[in-house]
Amino acid sequence: MSVLRPLDKQPGLNTATILLVGTEDALLQQLADSMLKEDCASELRVHLARSLPLPSSANRPRIDLIVFVVNLHSKYSLRNVEESLHHVDATFFLGKAAFLATGAGRESHCSVHRNTIVKLAHTYRSPLFFCDLEIEDFRATMAQRLVRVLQICAGHVPGVSALNLPSLLRSSETPAPEDL
Amino acid sequence: MEMPPGEQAATEPPDSGAGGGEGRPPQVAGAQETRAEDRLTLLLRLRAQTKQQLLEYKSMVDASEEKTPEQVMQDKQIEAKIEELENEIEEVKTAFEMKKLTIDRIQLSTALSKNLEKINPQTSVLMDNMKHILKLNKLIMKSQQESWDLEEKLLDVRKKRLQLKQASESKLLEIQTEKNKQKDDLAIMENSDKIKAIKQNLQMEIQITTVIQHMFQNLILGSKANWAEDPALKETVLQLEKNLTMI
Repeated sequence: MSVLRPLDKQPGLNTATILLVGTEDALLQQLADSMLKEDCASELRVHLARSLPLPSSANRPRIDLIVFVVNLHSKYSLRNVEESLHHVDATFFLGKAAFLATGAGRESHCSVHRNTIVKLAHTYRSPLFFCDLEIEDFRATMAQRLVRVLQICAGHVPGVSALNLPSLLRSSETPAPEDL
Repeated sequence: MEMPPGEQAATEPPDSGAGGGEGRPPQVAGAQETRAEDRLTLLLRLRAQTKQQLLEYKSMVDASEEKTPEQVMQDKQIEAKIEELENEIEEVKTAFEMKKLTIDRIQLSTALSKNLEKINPQTSVLMDNMKHILKLNKLIMKSQQESWDLEEKLLDVRKKRLQLKQASESKLLEIQTEKNKQKDDLAIMENSDKIKAIKQNLQMEIQITTVIQHMFQNLILGSKANWAEDPALKETVLQLEKNLTMI
């Protein structure tokens, strides 16, 4: 079982790589397409994975940001993400990992409570985004945000490091993770 | 499973070549210049990126190096260190929160001022609100003034009460001393010889009077007069029955 580590390979020139982990293949593909449509100075690479660990044989570039996509309508998607989290090195959670919860808009369809994913994100000290990926506009906005975060994580924004992200992304309403 | 990576089509920055893309002859030379400029900016940007990435790797290496001396340290030292670091974290956190609050406030005030410039001052809800707030503030100030006055009055009354209490206390003390004096005087008088002699005399007189009373009674009884008929005599006889020691 290979554990995924950040900064274990040399970065590609002007290349930023994001890894989207989730069971919803169609949604992930759509999100990836919207991200690639974004106007961005860096060269974007989007990898999609159903679950971790990744096959060790593949020749892949350095991964700068992992986004775990949880569909609140399916318990399987949450369990899959929870299992995948074991194969990620702890240093990834210093700003290079994020959670994305989709489907919170239609609460009647939810089989996973919102608080569960909030707690999960707090446990891993990582930012949590809510977005209904099925809606085009929301997906575009989220893609834009993710591209910005990815650029920071890949070190393409001078002066800002991924280490700053957890504290910068914390909104003033949500308490610090230690308080929960 | 991992899917093949989806890649962005354009390798260059999106702006590059935008000037010459339309194929207009007069602009070709300018387009080449802009292209060179673009390349320069690209190179500069790449330099900044590489620097940033180098910095990140360096910090990573530093962080992993810091672990080794900790293993040598004693437990207590580690605990002290942890406490120190925790304190540091707390300080930094509070500083950060303060800064964030300040920034929030600055942002808010800027937004507010911009907004105020934009909207018509006569009709805006904001101005109405502000006026209302001013009015309320005035009311609050007035009420506070009133409450202060009332408090002052209350204090005055309390002062007066305290003064009265002190006065009454001193008066009571005086009365007490006066009473004590009287008591002392009485005790002194009772113990004096004169009083004793007078008391003895009184006792003697009482005894004598009792004997005389008995004598008169017996005389009246011995004369066998019907004393009950004459009211004056009856009164006299009954008067002789009085015990003089009880007076």
